[in-house]
Amino acid sequence: MVIPHTVRVGILVLAATGFYTYVGQMVPQKEVLPPQETVIRADLTTDDMVKVGQEIMNGKGLCFTCHTLGKTEGPFRFPDLSGVDARAKTREPGLSDVDYFAQTIYEPNAFIVPGFNPGMPVINKPPIGLTDQEILCVIAYLQTLGGTPTVTLQTSHHYYTPPGAPGAAPPGAPGAPGAAPAPAAASAPGAAPSAPPVAPGTAPAAPGTPPAPAAPAKGTR
Amino acid sequence: MNGAFNRKVLFILGPVTGLVMFAAVVWMASQLMNREYREPYRVPSAAVDATPREGGLAAERADAETKARAKPYAEAEYRTFPIVGSRVAIWAVAELHLLFAAFVLAVPIFAFIIEVIGYKNGDPRYDRLAYEFTKLLSTSFSLTATFGAALTFMLIILYPKFTNYMMSVFSPTFLPYVLLFFAEAFFLYTYYYGWGKFHPLVHLGLGLGLNLVGTGIMMIANAWVTFMTSPAGVSDQGAVLSVRDAIFNYTWMPINIHRFIANIAFGGSVAGAYAAFKFLNAETDEERAHYDWMGYIGNFVAISAFLPLPFAGYYLAKEIYAFSQTLGLTMMGGAFSWLFIVQAVLIGNLFLAANYYLWLGMGRVEGFQPLQKFIKYLLVGITLCFAVWATPRSIIATVSELRAMGGGTHPILGYFGVMSAKNTAVNILILTTFMSFLLYRRTGKVATVAWAKMGHAAQLAIFAAAAIIVISLGVYGYFVEATVRIGLSVPQVGSVLFAMVSITAIDIFLFRGARKTGEVHWGRMPAISQYVLIFIAVTFTWLMGLMGYIRSGLRQHWHVYGVMRDTSVDAFTPTIGFATRVVSVTVLLFFLLIGFVFWLTSLHDRPDFVRQPKARLRPGSDDIPPEFAVAPGEP
Repeated sequence: MVIPHTVRVGILVLAATGFYTYVGQMVPQKEVLPPQETVIRADLTTDDMVKVGQEIMNGKGLCFTCHTLGKTEGPFRFPDLSGVDARAKTREPGLSDVDYFAQTIYEPNAFIVPGFNPGMPVINKPPIGLTDQEILCVIAYLQTLGGTPTVTLQTSHHYYTPPGAPGAAPPGAPGAPGAAPAPAAASAPGAAPSAPPVAPGTAPAAPGTPPAPAAPAKGTR
Repeated sequence: MNGAFNRKVLFILGPVTGLVMFAAVVWMASQLMNREYREPYRVPSAAVDATPREGGLAAERADAETKARAKPYAEAEYRTFPIVGSRVAIWAVAELHLLFAAFVLAVPIFAFIIEVIGYKNGDPRYDRLAYEFTKLLSTSFSLTATFGAALTFMLIILYPKFTNYMMSVFSPTFLPYVLLFFAEAFFLYTYYYGWGKFHPLVHLGLGLGLNLVGTGIMMIANAWVTFMTSPAGVSDQGAVLSVRDAIFNYTWMPINIHRFIANIAFGGSVAGAYAAFKFLNAETDEERAHYDWMGYIGNFVAISAFLPLPFAGYYLAKEIYAFSQTLGLTMMGGAFSWLFIVQAVLIGNLFLAANYYLWLGMGRVEGFQPLQKFIKYLLVGITLCFAVWATPRSIIATVSELRAMGGGTHPILGYFGVMSAKNTAVNILILTTFMSFLLYRRTGKVATVAWAKMGHAAQLAIFAAAAIIVISLGVYGYFVEATVRIGLSVPQVGSVLFAMVSITAIDIFLFRGARKTGEVHWGRMPAISQYVLIFIAVTFTWLMGLMGYIRSGLRQHWHVYGVMRDTSVDAFTPTIGFATRVVSVTVLLFFLLIGFVFWLTSLHDRPDFVRQPKARLRPGSDDIPPEFAVAPGEP
């Protein structure tokens, strides 16, 4: 029996398409969900913030798309984050680790680690768009990498002053990021201004903010 | 009796098909309508007794009516498409539109070039070939427009908020687009129907106009899609600041260049498939010779455009990284990175198939035997490069295998999975395929110029130097930081491009007035060579579908990256397996439709239908078939 050429061509098209579909099934299959919205509760302790920060870095923040953690041998596209807090304290003269981390997040091209190319996006703007509180949580987690976390939700830095803190913008005023930074004096590295030094894990609830005991530390919508 | 019955069946087939299609449209519309909420049927109030219950119900109805009247207009963000969902529906229609559009934009480019060659050398075969290519355009243009309209309406219906936003940003571009589309229709149909009717220069002018307008249309549409990936000219909240900046965004020009070249490669391959289809069904040697030549030209166009395509791809990737490192890394190191392994399989197959076709093609030239010995070396080179390119960095393995390897990366093969090795492999692949072209080009010819020996030596030296540079830089890339390594691809690409241009230039002069050692016998090709051409077309089409998915899917949960978020149920990025299934179904649909285009086009060559005369003549006449003869005595 002679198979007509048209039929053969049809079989060839089906076979080739089928083969490529098969190749597509052979590679790892992963569905990537949109990042979950994080709800930061006002009474988070520093320890809670560390956990939230770690989750943000692994998820919504997309940090480990570029950065590595614990990679000892090159090549490195972006700096490895192991022991980063120890380096952050001395990386730029006059900047505490909190201020340095804040700078890398709000204004990443202000300082480029020698040996690397600029390329980090501004994290508080879309597409990543972390909130100021989420960024504080990320800083808390970064502090655990080679240091001790000290930030609370009341910690000020060059790019953000929490509501109610000295120098804070009145309610309804435009947001601070990227705008005139708070005075350096108001930025007590690692501690909430006009508040007693906070021991890790004992951060008080935000003054004037009622705690929300029913709300989860991190929720989704 | 049978013939008459068949004719009757054929006669009613048209209206029956029309009725079935009409019924299908009505059914589809009713399905869509049924998905909307409707008030349940209630007995008319006049027909029921005025009981307290009825009074209560009437008050309830009046209350509902008042509320309904007071309901403010709310713009829908999304609507759903039945069964497959909105995203897959838009995906398939957009891909089909783009495939036909690519074909319609590409064919006039090489038809015009072939016509110019024919005009310059006066060989009518070129004119016939260019016309043969152009014959494919008419139906394809209608299908492009149909899918374009379907895509527009579906976007308006399924993604109204997003479509509205895009219209607000790009409103100044839509009227020029429509006008260019009219101009495209004018040029295309005048170019096609005016073949041989005007002075050749006038006709060539029409062809040039067609190409310019087509490129303009493509560039406007590219502005829309590239804005979605790398938006510019808008505020953080999406307000339009500059339409010009929105058009001239980071990826606009790289996509213009990449699509222009890729369209030619794709169009060439589909035109080659048409020629192969015609070759296989040809009945005379003359037809076979013509379609063999046409297939060769189609494949030549496809592969010539395909060779510089990776360089355009580098440029596009570079601009994506320049716009956003996150986007770049999502593409190359994140969720989409495995798609590049699938891409490597496709491109490897393309290179293998294209080379195989060229090697088979040597058989149509007398005196090809001396060059045959080189084929095995080329094959080894291509296979090795293919293997390196398709090697993933991390390997899918069981836990015990991972433990044995000491991680997700194989201790030896892992070295082939990195960019240094892949860049080297693809550059050597390009060089090897270029060598195949060169061998084919000189089959059956001997250079007779005085400097022939020196010319051959120079060509060989350039080729060797390019290969050494590519391999050395590839090895060097393992020992330097990423910042340096990224830059190494530029001299690698540069040396390959230099080799291709300079060796071709030498070859043109070297074989000017060459002595022929054998004739080219067009049509003397085994049938398998034609199936190879069809395989190349399928692979190109699938590759276009895959790369289109990467370009578009890269935005992940954003309609416009960083500006307008996708909040629909389809905001997730599907698995690669799912994506490849959608691509495959769309490719099959495309081939079904392009098969229809081929069939319609082939009607051109079919002789006109001649109705058999219902002769009222007497039997015995020499030229009357017996069934039409009228018996003596019949009226």
